[in-house]
Amino acid sequence: MTNPPQSSNITITKDSAFSVKINRFLALLQRLLSNPTTVIGLIIIGLMLSMAIFAPWITTANIPDPYQMPRDWGAVRKPPGEMGYLLGTTNEGGDVFYGIVWGSRTSLQLSIYVVGSTMIIGTIIGSIAGLLGGWVDEVLMRIVDVFLSIPELIFALAIAAVLGPSFTNIIIALSLVIWVKYARIMRAQVLQIKQNDFVDAARIVGDSKFNIYIKDILPNAVTPVTVQATLDMGNVVLIGATLSFIGLSEAGIAEWGVLVSEGQAGIASGRWWASTFPGLMIFLWALAFNLLGDGLRDALDPRLEDR
Amino acid sequence: MQLRDYIIRRLMVLPILILGVSIVVFTLTRVGGSPIGIYLSHEMTPEEVLKIEERFGLDKPVLVQYIQWLKGIVSGDFGWSGVASAPVAEVFPIKLAATLELATAAGLVALFLGITLGTFAGARRNRFPDHLTRIVAVSGASLPQFWFGILLLIIFWAQLGIAPIGRSDATIFASISHPTGLYTIDAILAGSIRALWDAIWHLILPALTLGYGATAIIARMMRSALVEELQQDYVDAARAKGLAEKLVIKRHARRNALVPTITVIGLTFGFLLQGTITIEIIYRWPGIGRWMADSVLRGDQATLMTYVLFTSVLFLLVNLIVDVIYANLDRRVTLGK
Amino acid sequence: MNFKYFIKYLSYGFFAGAIALSPVTVIGQVKNPGLLVHAADDEPTTLDPAQVEPGEGGETIILQVYDRLLDIGPASAALIPSLAVEIPSLSNGGISGDGLTYTFKLRSGVTFHDGTSLTADDVKYSWDRAMEMNLPEGNAGALSDVIASTEIIDDLTFRVNLSEPSASFLNSTVVSMVASVVSQDAVEANGGVKAETPNRFMAGNMVGTGPYKFVVWNRNENLQLEVNESYWGDNAKLDVRIEIGGDPDVRVLGLRAGEFDTIETDPSFIADLEGADGVTIYTGGLLLEPLHIGFNLNIPKGSLPDGDTISEDFFHDPRIRQAFNHAFDYQAFLNGPLAGYGAFNPHYTPIGIFGHDADAPVYSEKNYAEAERLFREAGVWDEGFAVSVITEEGNLFALMCLVLKDSIERLNPNFRINVLAVAESVFDDAHAQNPLEYAMWAKNADPAADPNFYMQAYQHPDGEWGEVHGFANGYRDAAKVGELIDSAATELDPAKRSAIYRELQTILYDDPMWLIGAQEGVVMAHRDWLKGFAMQPLWPRPSLKFSFFDK
Repeated sequence: MTNPPQSSNITITKDSAFSVKINRFLALLQRLLSNPTTVIGLIIIGLMLSMAIFAPWITTANIPDPYQMPRDWGAVRKPPGEMGYLLGTTNEGGDVFYGIVWGSRTSLQLSIYVVGSTMIIGTIIGSIAGLLGGWVDEVLMRIVDVFLSIPELIFALAIAAVLGPSFTNIIIALSLVIWVKYARIMRAQVLQIKQNDFVDAARIVGDSKFNIYIKDILPNAVTPVTVQATLDMGNVVLIGATLSFIGLSEAGIAEWGVLVSEGQAGIASGRWWASTFPGLMIFLWALAFNLLGDGLRDALDPRLEDR
Repeated sequence: MQLRDYIIRRLMVLPILILGVSIVVFTLTRVGGSPIGIYLSHEMTPEEVLKIEERFGLDKPVLVQYIQWLKGIVSGDFGWSGVASAPVAEVFPIKLAATLELATAAGLVALFLGITLGTFAGARRNRFPDHLTRIVAVSGASLPQFWFGILLLIIFWAQLGIAPIGRSDATIFASISHPTGLYTIDAILAGSIRALWDAIWHLILPALTLGYGATAIIARMMRSALVEELQQDYVDAARAKGLAEKLVIKRHARRNALVPTITVIGLTFGFLLQGTITIEIIYRWPGIGRWMADSVLRGDQATLMTYVLFTSVLFLLVNLIVDVIYANLDRRVTLGK
Repeated sequence: MNFKYFIKYLSYGFFAGAIALSPVTVIGQVKNPGLLVHAADDEPTTLDPAQVEPGEGGETIILQVYDRLLDIGPASAALIPSLAVEIPSLSNGGISGDGLTYTFKLRSGVTFHDGTSLTADDVKYSWDRAMEMNLPEGNAGALSDVIASTEIIDDLTFRVNLSEPSASFLNSTVVSMVASVVSQDAVEANGGVKAETPNRFMAGNMVGTGPYKFVVWNRNENLQLEVNESYWGDNAKLDVRIEIGGDPDVRVLGLRAGEFDTIETDPSFIADLEGADGVTIYTGGLLLEPLHIGFNLNIPKGSLPDGDTISEDFFHDPRIRQAFNHAFDYQAFLNGPLAGYGAFNPHYTPIGIFGHDADAPVYSEKNYAEAERLFREAGVWDEGFAVSVITEEGNLFALMCLVLKDSIERLNPNFRINVLAVAESVFDDAHAQNPLEYAMWAKNADPAADPNFYMQAYQHPDGEWGEVHGFANGYRDAAKVGELIDSAATELDPAKRSAIYRELQTILYDDPMWLIGAQEGVVMAHRDWLKGFAMQPLWPRPSLKFSFFDK
């Protein structure tokens, strides 16, 4: 460990570095919350999260599998309010309200699994490509380019189609399609910072490549990755719902996309409730995360600050 | 010189990417699912299944199948579509024309709405109209297209009866010839007002639904580009000279802001391409999107592979063109300034 | 500013134009006069009689455009002459004494749609070609299984020699779509006959003798037919356009708007059509395709999906099979997914087929007490079990499986049924394997006009499913069942034949090899302005002959 400089005017202690970070974070938060559309997004997300967490208390869980829609074959296609069903029943006598509430759980699971795994995988691969460079970088980036050549939905559609209709397969399909975005972002970050002067300075001081990575590269990458992840939280549920709509998900589960798909055969005959309510939820979910993501991007983008 | 090198470099990578895509999509259909399923009838015996396998070359090793497929593509044979009960190459152009028409109409809608909304919001940054416009635009990107489309269909088709579904009235469609496959163009060529109206009338709702979804992409970009433009020095100078705000925006800032907006054309195109799948299903539009969805559900791997390959190539080309245009403009801009 | 006004008035103009030019229905006025628009729910795979699979969309087109030697009339199951001028019988010499030779006298002056004349040559060519092509997806077996040879006696006389007597030759084989008569000249000019190879021309074109001529097939959109003005029989009155694809509720809306004249729909939409202006609902019969779930007694070791806990001989025990049959909630299935349109038939003779015994014991009510007793006796009650059933997703079969799942799981929480709803192509592939790697699967039976086909395929220990599922492992007396079925196949005396089927239906109740959810009701809806509407379930789905209709 080297000795700190003798001058007492310049003391760089860990504490003040930390408080600088806190202050920056608070400033970010303030910018975020000053934007009304972002606030709306946060409120909606808060409500959805509560619904997901408190699901078993809002409606009794279905036995034996709470993620299966409870079916009452004697009460099929009932409009909202009839026979005690708040939002009506589906073609198979499923409780739409139950589907809405537990659907928030499945949506949460879907988005967290997909975004979580793709963030990790994408970050690792992108970092490896950026750090190692050379032919490893070339090969990995060609693979990423190939994946990016296929439009997102179409790619997910093709994968889900060959894997078979199940909720797990939709998670797999979406993950396989989205990880490339994070790989790209991470690699760009690594490359950008590799070129910066202070990295050279750190190298002179003797920090290992790994330390540079952890201390300098990762924190700087947080920004674009977070924005992308937020937008993807919404996007994933949207694409997942589209896949369900086309018919690639499991039958009978409490998932918003599946409900819209099963409920849309009857819309033209006036039975709007089985697909409208779940569809509304998908919309609100995607809207909330899009607004939050947009707000984050604005708040984090130094260029858009007032002069 | 740099630009030419850039173009050449991109063009050279293109075939590799396309080959890569072909490998990915081929592997998908062989690794999972059941490539033969669509050609089977119900209640076939294993011997009968074997015969069908031989007919479609599915009994050969996977690598051989891949080579056969590539060879076929080069000679224009894209396989037999189980969904259409006809060669893929025969049906594809007809349905492609229908989709192109829809996508173009939607693109025009998105362009118009996106630029208008983006300009409106950008000029009133952080004030109420900006936020409202932002919500309207972002809603377009958050809407489940299939749900929104169904809703519009209920209102305008089921309840009010003023919107049709499908692409055309079969009788009117049959009354003109179709040299290009694009209903609107063919109607103009045939000089039939009735057919032209039929084409446009059927286009309205699907184009609006699809276009609204793409609006957010353009609006977002337009807004931030305009905001940045309005912070430029020349804007202050113009304002100081006493020019009306609206004029400043309209004449100078917006035109300049359009330049970065070009970069999202690729993104918009991708969105439109994917959006056609659900929109065509809902509005019963006879395009490649709907055909693809059927193929996906029924395991028609010949159509699936052709579609994915085609859309990827298209996507790559469009992005390449956009990048080149932008690089060209960028160079001129940097040189100019 | 100007721009905004421009947009505003432009949109007013559009909507005004839309309303003015849109085909809004005027109540009572017939739409599309001279044209019948039928909204179908599936699309043909081929238009070639030698290639078409029984039960798929192409069969109904073949029914309209091609003729056969004999046909089934609209009113009853009785045969009527078509290209043959009379029905061969023992009394008129059409059938030889030993029942092996059938002679058909052909109608004279019949022309194909391309103008050429019909001769016995064409008939022999049509039948021989189907048998020679022997396409795996087609129904050539219906001919080659019973026919030893075909002969031409003269221009208007055609003879068939069977390999053994058959009670179902006339009422089943001769009237089936594979026996349709095509134009020899047309086929020879377009690819001819090649063994084991489909004929591309015939798959997408039709040259027949029927009341309709084929016009065009716009894939996934529509298929158009026009009236054959030089038909030998009663001319059709309306041209036909069959609209393909589209969701069931779109068809319903189209019917109500008058855009469609007839639609195929499923029972869940009847409620939306009841009381609609100008719409008549026809529910006069049952489809001949019972919805069933199969029990596999021939499961290869270790091949069941993960999660199944049953042993490979689970379904060998008749008590288990009976228990499943008792536990299923038939009424829930009938009243829910089938909206009340259906009935329960005995194993395995559908209602409406010769030999069906109305007094036979039938599974039609959920009986948890009996099911529990049987499960306990079989020793699985306390331990429970988990088993998967594979089905196509998104249709009635999947719903039937869901009802089974709910029925069994509500009986005993230790029982689990996993419903594997997969894409149709995946199902078809899995379903074609022998041995099958699933314990249960759901589908419907192939329709047939004669009880022998059902019994052979679905109950005979050496029959198609008997072999795959290993019925011999489960029947209490497999030999007896086989014997009864075989004797009924060749028994030419209707009374004796009936008696055999009666006995079979009683035996099979106690030894069920299937769980039959229901026999689906026929549900069709049409506009009031349609005249001459008649359905005959023995005709290929949708069981309509458009030549009878008028507006």
